[in-house]
Amino acid sequence: MTPVPITDVALLVPELILIGMALALLLVASRIREAGLATAGTVLAAALAAVLTIWLMPQSSVSGFSEMITIDGYSQFFKVLIASALGLTALLSVKRVDVKFVRPAEYHALLLLAAAGMMFAVSSLDLMTLYLGLELTTLCSYVLVGITVDKPDSNEAAIKYFLLGSFASALFLYGMALIYGATGATDFQTIALVLSESGLGSDPLFVAGAGLLTAGLAFKIAAVPFHAWAPDAYEGAHAPVAAFLATASKAAGLAALGRVCWAVFKTPSNQLQLDKLLPEVSMVLVGLAALSIIVGSIIALAQTNMKRLLAYSSIAHAGYALLGFISGTDAGAVATMTYAFLYVFMTLGAFGIVIALEDRGETLDGYQGLAVQRPKTAALMLLFLLSLTGIPPTAGFMAKFVVILNVVQEGYYALAILAVACSVITAFVYLRVAVLMYMKESPVAAAADPDETLSSRLPLAVSAALAVAALVTVIGGVFPGVLTSWAVAP
Amino acid sequence: MTYPALTVITFLPLLGAAGILLLGRGQRARWVALATTLATLAAMAPLCSGFDKTKSGLQFVDLVQWISMGNVQINYQLGVDGISLPFIVLSGLLTLLCVGASWTAIRTRDREFYAALLLAETAMIGLFAAANFFLFFIFWELMVVPLFLLIGIWGGSNRVYAALKFLLFTLAGSVLMLVGMIALQVATPEAGLNFKQLTGTTLDTTLQIWLFLAFLAAFAVKVPMFPVHTWLPDAHTEAPTAGSVILAGILLKMGAYGFLRVALPVLPEAVQIFLMPMLIISVVAIIYGAYVTLSQTDVKRLIAYSSVSHMGFVTLGIFTLDQRAVEGAILQMINHGIISAALFLCVGMIYERTHTREIKDYGGVAKTAPIYATLLALFCLAAAGFPGLNSFVGEFLIIGGAFKTNPWLGAMAIWGVVLGTTYLLWLYYRMVIGEMNPGLQGLKIELTARETLTLAPLAFLALYLGLHPECVLSYLHIPVSELPNIIATP
Repeated sequence: MTPVPITDVALLVPELILIGMALALLLVASRIREAGLATAGTVLAAALAAVLTIWLMPQSSVSGFSEMITIDGYSQFFKVLIASALGLTALLSVKRVDVKFVRPAEYHALLLLAAAGMMFAVSSLDLMTLYLGLELTTLCSYVLVGITVDKPDSNEAAIKYFLLGSFASALFLYGMALIYGATGATDFQTIALVLSESGLGSDPLFVAGAGLLTAGLAFKIAAVPFHAWAPDAYEGAHAPVAAFLATASKAAGLAALGRVCWAVFKTPSNQLQLDKLLPEVSMVLVGLAALSIIVGSIIALAQTNMKRLLAYSSIAHAGYALLGFISGTDAGAVATMTYAFLYVFMTLGAFGIVIALEDRGETLDGYQGLAVQRPKTAALMLLFLLSLTGIPPTAGFMAKFVVILNVVQEGYYALAILAVACSVITAFVYLRVAVLMYMKESPVAAAADPDETLSSRLPLAVSAALAVAALVTVIGGVFPGVLTSWAVAP
Repeated sequence: MTYPALTVITFLPLLGAAGILLLGRGQRARWVALATTLATLAAMAPLCSGFDKTKSGLQFVDLVQWISMGNVQINYQLGVDGISLPFIVLSGLLTLLCVGASWTAIRTRDREFYAALLLAETAMIGLFAAANFFLFFIFWELMVVPLFLLIGIWGGSNRVYAALKFLLFTLAGSVLMLVGMIALQVATPEAGLNFKQLTGTTLDTTLQIWLFLAFLAAFAVKVPMFPVHTWLPDAHTEAPTAGSVILAGILLKMGAYGFLRVALPVLPEAVQIFLMPMLIISVVAIIYGAYVTLSQTDVKRLIAYSSVSHMGFVTLGIFTLDQRAVEGAILQMINHGIISAALFLCVGMIYERTHTREIKDYGGVAKTAPIYATLLALFCLAAAGFPGLNSFVGEFLIIGGAFKTNPWLGAMAIWGVVLGTTYLLWLYYRMVIGEMNPGLQGLKIELTARETLTLAPLAFLALYLGLHPECVLSYLHIPVSELPNIIATP
């Protein structure tokens, strides 16, 4: 094995910044009593990582570490997205992290490490590094979900998540082993090459391996039927942690799935083999997407807890995001990337409102009469809900437009109609909240506060995070090209 | 760069809405709303005076490059032709009158009320000014949100049910239109969904049939055509006066306008195929709507059902494809916008005093309120198609066209007119003539100067268009004759 040239380390600068900040926080952990300092450090690291990612943006893709790690447009896009989600989550945590129960330094260090793992995963060109990155993320996530040790439901959520999550990791690992057995390689390029040359596409060993691998990745994005952990984990976890899982973690999972699929889609030679393999991959993705959309939207109807509702909504959105991948074209990958980008911000916004309103509880009933008592918070929530529904001119509409365009382009009319029909169901889900906010009287007689300023009730950090999310939700809808024009297929 | 008249008119109300939310407190909101609607109406003056009736195609075009994603190139393009101009003016006028009608009726959360009303105005004007399908769709969907809020917050006792029913019906229709629009974009990527360029392309007949069905789903719900009209009575009955006026005056016209703007020009072959079914359900709507209207005991419900019947005339006229009948249908859309708005205003004004919508609670209103009785008589006669008033001309042209297509259709339409006269005059008889209902003793029913002023423009238009229909028809000759399939009248 050749020694790794030192220049390769440059490829990992954003990740190293996050890890460095995490270690720094841990070193001074005993001195940090207030969340503020840790938050500031995390946001700083996230911003730095994002800026450096953009600065490192290559003209053409560069790879290093024996072709295991790459910097290309695809990975850079997701890295910036992950860094943004990390920064916003840290800002949202300011209100929620109670220093009595949670040690701020550890909490933020775990967030940073999880984000570093995601970044590592999205730039992997090899199953080994992909697994390492994802595993770093999941291990941190387990702890984050259960970080309030004194709360039984938080512990319960963490244990459920851990049991199912380790099972999924095992599936992934086993799939990896089978693929290695079939092809003799773990890096995408060699696997794709072997596939196209030797016609392993229908080899049971390889098919089983690919299936297990897909199952493991579907678990990360909480696609049906690998979604069962999400509602419990989100409900038990701290709201900011749930937001982080629903956004950054899902984006990273989508990125990894795209990377794996495109390794097959982009196989250079032997079209004949590909023609046999492509429909199979597409079919699996279509199945995952359709099931997620249907199950996510229908079960969301029955939810009474806001975080569970958003969990099922995130399951449905995972399905919508997958719609871009099914075509196997580069335009399709860009559609999914656009969807992921816009989804991250609107979901963070919705979770942000849940965090802002924690004094009213997390059940839907707490939202009754919100528009009278806190009109601005209610208006923001309405914006995020409309965006999640996909009503123009919000970002959610543009996101749905690009993925459904991709579906129709491929001729999957039935899938397109299924997707929009389910969006009517989700409309009912989200607008039920709007009805509670705008059209019901609050059972608690709180003084109406028509002149509410967000900052009077909320820490500045939370308001700032909400403002960013709202801005992206509006701009993404009105000028769709501006934010996501730099998305590049793997 | 020239003065972007249409963009200004479209977004001026939005600016006003933002202004209200930001600074209007207490009584100030309605003044800002009044100023905005007046300014918008005034800004339409150069549009009307500068419009050249003899030119074909769009005028006052505002064109900016907007979306560019892969092979999707969509421009921001507004423009008016003879069909859309009257509707833009009508939208401006009716919103102004809505502000007048809500002056004292809306006492709770008036900031949000006027903001929603102005947002609806932007959506209405934008829809009629849109020169491509994408913008049309955006404004189409944008319209739903403020009306959902108007009905659900300021409506009657059963408002939440009515608002949700309205929302789900319209969304279910419009998501199918979204799929249709995307299919259209995929089929003709170079047209950029521009109406003019779409008209020039010939699509495959099978595709046309599917697209027609998809668009029909959206348009039929809005018109509303039999049998998807059931949301209308609920929405109308529960909505506040301003909501009913916008619903009856403009929203119902959007569906028919969609037929004229999208279905007829873009899908000529499908229109020919679906001609007979469309004519038959139009006639069913006329007759069925009229009989159901006869049996109503609630004034608002009665007027709502009469809209089903009257809009049946409009679709009947459109699908005869006879030049004069189509012109008559468009004129009738304007007429119905004026008259149904006036009737809802009349009902709303008296409801503000009596707080009952049951017909049996009224009677003998003429004795204390001569001005009200006179105006209501004028509007009832106009709605019944009395010669010399505006509806007469429209209905005459439509029925003439219907007789040419098939004498049976004409005969049924005439039966619809007879029934219409019956229910309107009977309504007038029960409410206004006869002995004074004891329940009304001691109430000051006569209109105030503000209310008379609100109704006066509509009364003037009802008379003026009845005596000089050419002032609208002259705008229609050229654009209607340019629609494909139109049978020219010598």
